[in-house]
Amino acid sequence: MKRRDFLKNASLASLSLPFVSNGFSMQAISKELFEYSKNAEDRVLVLIRMNGGNDGLNMVFPIDQYANLMVQRPNILIPQNQLLNLTSDVALHPKMTGMQDMFNNGKLSIIQNVGYPEANRSHFRSMDIWTTGALDINQTSGWLGRYFDSTYPNFPADYPNVNFPDPFAISMGSEVSTTCQGLMGNFSHAVNDPFNTSNLLLTNVTNDGTYYGSHIEYISTLINQTNEYGTAISSSANAGNSLSNLYDPLNPLAVQLKYIAQMISGGLKTKVYIVNIGGFDTHDSQVDQNSLADGNHSLLLEMISDAVAAFQNDLHLLGLEERVAGMTFSEFGRQIASNGSYGTDHGDSAPIMLFGNCVNTGIIGPNPTIDNQINEQAGVPMQIDFRNVYASILRDWFEAPEPSIQALFEQNITYLDVLSGCSVGLAEQEAQKQKPLAYPNPTPSNTTLRFQAKGEQYQIYIVDQQGKAIAQAFDGQLATGKQELAMETSKLPAGHYYFLITSTSMRELVAFQKV
Amino acid sequence: MQVYTGPWTKAEAAHLLRRTTFGATNQQILAAVSNGMTATVNSILQIPISSEPLAYDAGETIVPQGSSWVNAVYPANQTQNQQTENARFKSLGAWIAKNINQEQLCIAEKMAFFWQNHFGVTATAESRAMYHFLALLRQNALGNFKQLMKDVTIDPAMLLFLNGATNNVFSPNENYSRELLELFSIGKGNQIATGDYSTYTETDVAAGAKILTGYTVTGVRSSTETQALAIFNPILHDNASKTLSYHFNNQVLAGAGATEYANYIDVIFAQPQVAKYICSKLYRYFVNYDITPTVQTDVIDVLAQTFINNNFEILPVMQQLLTSDHFYDMSVRGAIIRNPLDMVMGVLNPTQTIPNFGLVGDYQTYISIYYVADTMGQSYIIPPSVAGWTAYYQAPAFSKLWINSTYIKKRFDIVSAIVYTGIPIGTNTLKMNHLGFLNGLSNPSSAPQVIDDICDVFFPKAIDATDKLMLKLILTGGLPDFEWTIQYTDYANDPTNIAVSNPVMQRMQAVMNVILKMPQFQTI
Repeated sequence: MKRRDFLKNASLASLSLPFVSNGFSMQAISKELFEYSKNAEDRVLVLIRMNGGNDGLNMVFPIDQYANLMVQRPNILIPQNQLLNLTSDVALHPKMTGMQDMFNNGKLSIIQNVGYPEANRSHFRSMDIWTTGALDINQTSGWLGRYFDSTYPNFPADYPNVNFPDPFAISMGSEVSTTCQGLMGNFSHAVNDPFNTSNLLLTNVTNDGTYYGSHIEYISTLINQTNEYGTAISSSANAGNSLSNLYDPLNPLAVQLKYIAQMISGGLKTKVYIVNIGGFDTHDSQVDQNSLADGNHSLLLEMISDAVAAFQNDLHLLGLEERVAGMTFSEFGRQIASNGSYGTDHGDSAPIMLFGNCVNTGIIGPNPTIDNQINEQAGVPMQIDFRNVYASILRDWFEAPEPSIQALFEQNITYLDVLSGCSVGLAEQEAQKQKPLAYPNPTPSNTTLRFQAKGEQYQIYIVDQQGKAIAQAFDGQLATGKQELAMETSKLPAGHYYFLITSTSMRELVAFQKV
Repeated sequence: MQVYTGPWTKAEAAHLLRRTTFGATNQQILAAVSNGMTATVNSILQIPISSEPLAYDAGETIVPQGSSWVNAVYPANQTQNQQTENARFKSLGAWIAKNINQEQLCIAEKMAFFWQNHFGVTATAESRAMYHFLALLRQNALGNFKQLMKDVTIDPAMLLFLNGATNNVFSPNENYSRELLELFSIGKGNQIATGDYSTYTETDVAAGAKILTGYTVTGVRSSTETQALAIFNPILHDNASKTLSYHFNNQVLAGAGATEYANYIDVIFAQPQVAKYICSKLYRYFVNYDITPTVQTDVIDVLAQTFINNNFEILPVMQQLLTSDHFYDMSVRGAIIRNPLDMVMGVLNPTQTIPNFGLVGDYQTYISIYYVADTMGQSYIIPPSVAGWTAYYQAPAFSKLWINSTYIKKRFDIVSAIVYTGIPIGTNTLKMNHLGFLNGLSNPSSAPQVIDDICDVFFPKAIDATDKLMLKLILTGGLPDFEWTIQYTDYANDPTNIAVSNPVMQRMQAVMNVILKMPQFQTI
């Protein structure tokens, strides 16, 4: 949370509102109360995997290298005057207007020339490197899988459980993600459609009336019943919202990001979402030879830019902007020189994009240097090791301690400041922890109320939107110190409510939502 | 029921092999296609000699590691005696799993389990006796059933299991006598009068008990005898004549001492119901649970007549069944839900995932696999009851009983383990042989062909085209097909280089993890 917003919300949340039994509407402030973000535990990372090898030079243009780019890729290079300028020497593809706006609003950053030493130009091997976060061929776990393993050591045996009812990661589609492969299990749960969380990885199962059909139907039903995460996911999706009208229903990435917004806003505690978008293997017809700003690659970039912009807009409207950050990646960039088929072949490094309200805005790393004479098959050389980006995200976003981050990677980590835009100081964090808090929130059943008590007699009421007390939830003496009281909210109809905490010295409202 | 004359493609060949083995490779299916139905059926209807189980566990104190214990004494010391029995029990369980995992492409293992289910014998703490019983079933799995019935009747394991060993003239025990009629030979029909079960009466149960008196078992867990042996003791035998019920034409069996039981079995087998009963069990096990009136008259009665005509030889019945048009009918494809061993071995065998960890490592692996099936409801040498597993007789669910919410999760967990991390067993890890499996497919460099072949191996019927497309996209990681071809070719040209083989393996892991969790895989 940015300091300005933190202070704004803190002052609102600590307002000691008079309790009025009728007519006093608290609706106006409820959104603000909801907005106050907690800590790293609530943060969400969205990874967008651009499958096939993204041509970074046709996405982020080093304007100061334009002349030599023209030498190397004359048949595909988009005219300079069509590019979208971000800075004086960096520009975006003309179709990425949504992301240009995000950049200008401080919600997008670009890390240039990300890769790893001695690039491997096999799609499969290189994607394994990116997903495992390791160059070691024997590494089979994913970088986030190792992070989760270090945090939740008995996975999958002890999960899900009461404290962790939701999947740690969701991989949109039919395949769990190697990124989340742990030592004993994969932390990601494959989800095609969060509103229909059948655990059936593929869907076309019908009872054709034969014995076989009846078995398949029976087993499918059982699989769904035993899908431990299915209910948590679908109830969150159903409880959640999507408020942006910018999503294009024909844009498959937008559809998936909208699902993600719905799951997050519905209270799902999943920390990582992974979406895949294919088609970046643009050996030919990368551009339309009659209009270089069009063609296959431009369609993909437009899809990503539009979808991410819609998602960011949605997060803003939902008040979730400071809980969600995202990153794009691809297995490699493409060669500097274009080929004769208006395409490009497998290369090395490429830029990655980070998005969200908390990114450190701007462009990290210098433009690549394009010589007018290059070796055959030259790619863009690496300047920033992808593992340093991963490590920095873990540090900045999940607030993992540096020694435990280092243990996940094979080389010495050099950190970049990537996502510290919302970090709050320790004192502020501590102050925030003192605030009364209801969790889970929104809740589908009961909830826990956490606050600092002062050794007094307390009465806690459940108050509805009209400010009317509808139930007394607690009446008793509480010792000084942090209290965590189980609140019976399971029988409340869905809607927005408050806990009103009262004592001699305290009068606090804590908003919560029953879903 | 006619001989099947329809198309003989991978679908039919794979159907035959799924029902008669624990899982064929793609090459074996293709060979079956080119050999044709008749030759394939003839070649799978054989029972190869199997080696004996070997000592591997430190609890075995009599024979050295790597030696057979099936004809070895037990230690005299009681503690060691029990330790040795525990070790032999594990060796026996491992041996069963090993036989199935390393089966030749023939019906032996499926047939052996058919009989184990039929007789429902639980190992009664005498692993030598249990071994010899299982060996008897296996050896005669396609042999003469009437003779097998006689042999089983005085087998030490059976005598111990159903109290035959304590059934004597002074206190007849009806346990075996009842099951002989109710479960093993003629089968129990509807009760039509007090004590009358359509096919036999309580009179026959009582008479049978007396007929069977006189056998005891010696040498159980003996430190001096190398076998548990059935002994006939004439003093314990009721040698009076016995009169059977009207179901057996009120026949009188004269006292005949040690061979009286065989005369009795001959009398039982004179009833046509015996053949019908056994053929209905074969049908449920090999074809489908649902015996409609048409199936009864057109299939089971026909098979039963073949059984009788061939004096209860099993092989001609199986030959007729497996070459029949009914067996290949689309309506019965995929009509059986895999039992746990069929599920686990159905993953390991087609991929030729076979432990190679030396004697001890292999046996440890196999006993672990045995227990995996056990935790999913199928402990081969400890059936739930003498009636066998409910999935083969309990209407209306039948094979659906193999899967419930607990078991399906276990099935998925074992798939995840085998496909990705491997099953850790001691210092060894049993991992799926992804690359060997892939290399054995018809055209591994073609992504669509890989998926077609995998589906042929694991699914009883064609799956939806969009599902196939999804599977292919998982294999290719969403890339164009040619990228898979390039990657596979790189690997094929440099197969020992893990930098090119691991990416191929990882794609196979992703695909297999999905395929083996599809509901279609759970059926055969």
